[in-house]
Amino acid sequence: MSDGVNGKMSSSVTRDEFTIEKKKFQFFRLLSYFKPYMLIVLLSLFLAVLVNGAVLAKPYIIKQVIDGYIVKDDYNFKVMFLMGVLYLLAVLLSVGCGYLQTYLLTYVGQKIMYNIRNSLFEHIQNMSMTFFDKNSSGRILTRVTNDVEALNDLFSGVMVDIFKNIIMIIGIIVVMFALDTEMALASISCIPVIAGIMIIYRMAARKNFIRMKGMLAKINGFLAENISGMKLVQVFHREKEKYKELTDLDGEFFKCSLREVILNSFSRPLVDIINNATIAAVILFCMGRLLHGNLEIGVLFAFITYIKQFFDPISDLSEKYTTIQSAIISSERVFEILDTVNVQEDMDNGIQTGKLKGEIEFIHVWFAYNDEDWVLKDVSFKIMPGEVAAFVGATGSGKSTIISLMARFYDIQKGQILIDGTDIREYNLKELRRQISVVLQEVFLFAGDIRSNIRLNNKEISDQDIEYAAQYVKADGFIQSLPKSYSEEVKERGCTFSAGQKQLLSFARAVAFQPSILVLDEATASIDTETEMAIQEAMTKISSGRTSIIIAHRLSTIRNADKIMVIHKGRLRESGDHNQLMQLGGLYSRLYRIQLEKSAVVSAG
Amino acid sequence: MKARQILIDFMKNHAISYIAGILILFGTTFLAMLIPKLLGIITDDLNNKDSTQSSIVHNVLLMMAIVIAVFILKFLWRYFLIGNCRSIECYLRDHLFKHMQTLPLSFYSNSRTGDLVAYAINDVQAVRMTFGFGSIQILDGSTLAIISIIFMVQTISPVLTIMALAPVPIAIFIMVNVGRHIRGRFRKVQEAFASISEKVQENISGIRVIKAFAQEKEEVDNFLKYSQRRVDTQMSLTRISALLGPCAQLCFGVSFLLFIVYGSKLVIEGTITLGDYVAFNTYMLAIMGPVTNISRIIDVWQRGLASYRRLATIFDSPPASGLTSEDCSVCDIKGRLEIKNLNFTYPGAKRRALKNINLTLEQGRTLGIIGKTGSGKTTLINLLLRLYDIDNGQIYIDGTDINDIPVDILRECIGYVPQDNFLFSTTIRQNIEFFKSIYTEDEIEEAARLSGVYDNIASFPEGFDTVIGERGTTLSGGQKQRISIARAIIKNPSILILDDSLSAVDTKTEVEILGNIRKLLDDRTGIIISHRISTIMQADEILFMSGGRIVERGSHEQLMGLKGLYYELYKAQNVPASEEVAI
Repeated sequence: MSDGVNGKMSSSVTRDEFTIEKKKFQFFRLLSYFKPYMLIVLLSLFLAVLVNGAVLAKPYIIKQVIDGYIVKDDYNFKVMFLMGVLYLLAVLLSVGCGYLQTYLLTYVGQKIMYNIRNSLFEHIQNMSMTFFDKNSSGRILTRVTNDVEALNDLFSGVMVDIFKNIIMIIGIIVVMFALDTEMALASISCIPVIAGIMIIYRMAARKNFIRMKGMLAKINGFLAENISGMKLVQVFHREKEKYKELTDLDGEFFKCSLREVILNSFSRPLVDIINNATIAAVILFCMGRLLHGNLEIGVLFAFITYIKQFFDPISDLSEKYTTIQSAIISSERVFEILDTVNVQEDMDNGIQTGKLKGEIEFIHVWFAYNDEDWVLKDVSFKIMPGEVAAFVGATGSGKSTIISLMARFYDIQKGQILIDGTDIREYNLKELRRQISVVLQEVFLFAGDIRSNIRLNNKEISDQDIEYAAQYVKADGFIQSLPKSYSEEVKERGCTFSAGQKQLLSFARAVAFQPSILVLDEATASIDTETEMAIQEAMTKISSGRTSIIIAHRLSTIRNADKIMVIHKGRLRESGDHNQLMQLGGLYSRLYRIQLEKSAVVSAG
Repeated sequence: MKARQILIDFMKNHAISYIAGILILFGTTFLAMLIPKLLGIITDDLNNKDSTQSSIVHNVLLMMAIVIAVFILKFLWRYFLIGNCRSIECYLRDHLFKHMQTLPLSFYSNSRTGDLVAYAINDVQAVRMTFGFGSIQILDGSTLAIISIIFMVQTISPVLTIMALAPVPIAIFIMVNVGRHIRGRFRKVQEAFASISEKVQENISGIRVIKAFAQEKEEVDNFLKYSQRRVDTQMSLTRISALLGPCAQLCFGVSFLLFIVYGSKLVIEGTITLGDYVAFNTYMLAIMGPVTNISRIIDVWQRGLASYRRLATIFDSPPASGLTSEDCSVCDIKGRLEIKNLNFTYPGAKRRALKNINLTLEQGRTLGIIGKTGSGKTTLINLLLRLYDIDNGQIYIDGTDINDIPVDILRECIGYVPQDNFLFSTTIRQNIEFFKSIYTEDEIEEAARLSGVYDNIASFPEGFDTVIGERGTTLSGGQKQRISIARAIIKNPSILILDDSLSAVDTKTEVEILGNIRKLLDDRTGIIISHRISTIMQADEILFMSGGRIVERGSHEQLMGLKGLYYELYKAQNVPASEEVAI
C-alpha cells in the first residue's frame, strides 16, 4: 500500500512513565497478533538470512576474482565463467528469497489486518447509540480504515525488516573482521557517526512532518468548507478575504515543506561524505601494508563495497522506528475502541418477545444523555394496544428521546419502561427492535436498489412482501414509474429521490417488517403540501391495527389521535384527546391558538 | 487563466533558480562520477609497488575535496529545483482556488465538493511530484547514466561497456511493461480500500436505521466481503509488484557475469588496469539505480499528467461574467425591482425553469412567493443575485438592467438568507460579520437580537466567540437559520431576501422573528419565500408559483377571494384552524 491511503500520523506523543509503560504493553499486544502465523514469520526470518548472505557474497566473489586470478595474471576462461555464474547465482538466491519473503509477509500483514478490521467493525456495530453520539462519523471511519492500514506496515514488514537490517549490519561486520581485523576496526568507526546523523535527522524530520500533516489537514478543511460555502462567499463577495486566508495557510505550509527539502538535502549527502571519508581513512590506513605486499588489493575492494552498504540498513532502521511509533499511535486508537466494552449492546440474551400486543407503559422515567442533565423528568404514561398516541412539544422538549427509549437505544437512569407488562431490559434486544419499527424524520437510504432498501438484508421478506408494502403505503406508483422499478439503483443516499418519495420508501420499509409497534417521527423538512397529504394518508393507513406513536410537529396531523401527550421541558404536562386538551385551556390550546391566530386575521378581514 | 499559462508563468518567474539548479546538477553529477575513476587510479597506485605514498595521499585528499564539493553542489541544486516544485504546489493551489472563486454556481451544482477538494490537494500534489521527483529523477538519472557511460567508454573499454550494458535494455523493457500491470492492480487496491471506506461511512450514517431494524449481524457479514476484497487485491498486486526489483537485478546479474568473464580477461591481457576494472564495477552499480527507478518515474508522470488534465479542465471552466466595480463598499441601490417577460433555462437543461415572469416591486414593498419544491422560487432568487446569466432586458433594478450593475455592488446591496443554513466552523461573530471586521459590537448584537438568536448566543459561555461546527458547539437547525438571518441583516441591505429561512424555527419564534423583519422591511424591499402561507401572508404582494410560472398573484385577501390554488393550499395547511373558527 502506498502512502496515499494511510499517511496518518498523530502529534500526541506524551512522555510520562505511565504512557511508556502502556506503550510497551501495546507493543506486545500487537505482537500477539502474529501468533497464528508464527511459522510463516519464522520462515521469513530464515529467508532474510539467506538474502543477506547472498548480498554479502557478491563483493566477496569479485574480491576472489581480483586476488585469485587478476593480480596473479592467471586467466582461465572456465574458472572466470564459473565465478560469473556464481555471482549470478548469488543474485538469483537473493532475489528469489526476497520475493518469497515479501509475498509471505504481505500475506501475514493482510490477514492480521483483515482480522483486526473485522473485529473492530463488529465491535462498533454493537456499540450503543451513546457511542455514536459521542464520536463523529469521521473519527470512527478513520479507525476502521486508516488506522488499521497504518498497522499493516508494522505487520507486513517492519518486524522482519528490523531483523534483516540487524543481521545485515552484523553480517557486514563479521565478514570485515574475517577479511582483516585492523581494517574492520577502522571501517566500523563510521557506524556511530552515521547512526547519530540519522537519529538527529529523523527527529527533526518527524517533527516537521507532523507539522506539515497538520497544515495540510487545515488546508483540506478550509477547502472543503469554502467550496461547500462558495455560493455564500460569492453572494456576500468575500472572495478576497477568503483567498487571503488560503494564501496564509499555504504560506505556512510552504515553510514546513521547504524545511523538509533542506533537511533531506542535508542528510543523505552528509552520509555520503562520511562514507567516503571512511573509505579514504581505510585507504590511508592500509596504504603501507598494500605497498609492502602484506595485503591483497581485492580486500580493499571488498571493504570499499561493504562500507558503502552500511548506510542502507542503518537508514532503514531509523525509518522503521518512526513507522513503529505511528503504528503504535494507531493501535492505541484501535484498542481504545476494542476495549470499550461497557457500551456494547447484548443482542443475543434476554427473553423472546414473540408477537407483542403493543402495550407501552412509562413509570416515573428519568433520563439524561449526560450525567444529571435531565432530558426527561419523571415521565409516566400508558399506551394501550392498538392506540394511536401522539407527542407534542417544542424542539428539544424531549419527544424524540421518548421513542429512542422505547426501542432501547439508551437505558434510563431511573424508573421503568414496560412493554406488554415486562421491563424492556429483560427482552432480547434484537427481537424487541424488530417488533418496533421506527420511521425517522430524516430518511436514510443505503446503496443498493429499491428492493434492498425496503428489505434491508432481512431474508424473510419476500419480493411479494416488498411490493405489497409499497402498494400499501402508495409508494408503488412512483416506484413503477422508475426505469427499472423495484430494481432501480439507489445512488448517493437516494439524492435522486425527492424528500417525499424517500419518506414513502421508509414507510414501506416499516410496513414490510410487520411491527407490533410503529413509531413515526414526522418530517419537518420542506415537503410541498401535495406530497405531504400523500404522506399523511399513508401515515393514517399504516398506523391502523397496531400501536402507533407519532411525534408531531404540526398539530393538524394528530387531531384524531387517541391520546395526545404534551411534553414541555422534559416533563409530561398534559395528556388526553384533542377535545379534552382544548377544554383544559393549557399548553396545547395555547400552541393551537398560535396557528389559529394567523387564520383569524384572515377571517376578520 | 489557463493551467499551462500558470505553469509557464511560474517557471518564467523562477527561471534563474531553474537554470542555476540544472547547471549545478550537471556539474554535480560530473564531479560525482569522477570519484570512481579516482578510486580506480588510487587502486592502481596501491597495486603498483613503485608508487609513492605521497601521490596516493594526494589523490585521496583530492577525492575528499571532490566529495565535499559534491555535497555543497548537491545541496544547492536540490534547494533550487526541489524547493521550486514545493513552491509550485502552493502557487498552483492558490491559483486554483482563486479561479474557483470566480466560477458560477452552475459549476458547483455539477461537481462534488469532495472531488474539488481532492483536486486542490491530491492532484496539485501529483503535479508537484511530476515536477519534483518525476522530472528531477529523469534529469539526474539520465545525466548520471550518460556521464557514467562516457567515462566507461572513453577511459576504460568501449567493447566491455557494450557487452556489460547489453542486458540493460531488457531490464528497461521489463520495468516499463510490468509497471503497466502494476498500475492496473494498484487501482484495484485503492478501489477496494475506498469501498471499505464507503461501506463504513454508510453504515455509521445509517446506524440508527440499522439498530432500529436490528441489522447488525447482517451488516457485519456484508462487511466481510469488502474486507476480503482488500486482502485479495493486495495479494494480486504484491504478486507482480514484488517481481519488479528482482527482474532488474537479474538483468544486471547477467551484466556482472559478462563483466567478470570479459573484464578480467582485459585486465590480465593488460588492455585495462585493475583500477579501471574496479571503477567499471562502480559505474555499473551507479547505472542500476536510475534503471530500477524507471517504473516509478513513469508512474509519477502518468499520475501527474492525469491530475494536470483534471486541473486544466477546471482552469478552463469560464468564470461567471459580469461587471465588477473598483469600489464595492458603496451601495447605491434603492431597491425598485422590475422583471419583464423573464424566461430562464438552466444550462444543460431542456425545460424552462421560469416562464414569462412579469413583476414590479416598488422600493420598500414586500413580496411573498409560495409554491411547491421545483416551482421556480429559488431560481428567481438565484437570478436576482446574478448567480446565473440572463439576457439583457429582463430584470431591472432601480430602472437599470441587472447586467449593467456591477455584480459586487448588486450583491453588497442584497441581504440574502439561503435555504440551506450553511455556517462556517469558526466563531459566531465571524459568521455574522462574515470574515470582515467592519461592524461594531453593538451592530453585531443588534443583528442577533433582531433575528431572535441573541439569547441563545448569550447563554454560551464564550458568547459571540463560541466556535461552532465540528470542532465546536453544535447548533440546532433553528439556531443556524437565525444566525444566517443575522448575517444578512447586519449588512443593512436595500433588498432583503429570505429563502425559506424559517422552516426549522418553531412557530412561536417564527412569529417573533417575522415581527422584527417586518419592522426592518418598512423602508426596504423584501422578498420572502416559504412553503407555509403563515410566513408570507402579510406581504404586500404574493406570487403563487407552479411549474416556473406565476399562476396566481395578489394580496392574501385577494388570493383568498380568488378561491383558487392559494385558497386550496391555505385550507390544506389550516384544516383545524378553519374548523375551529367555525365553531
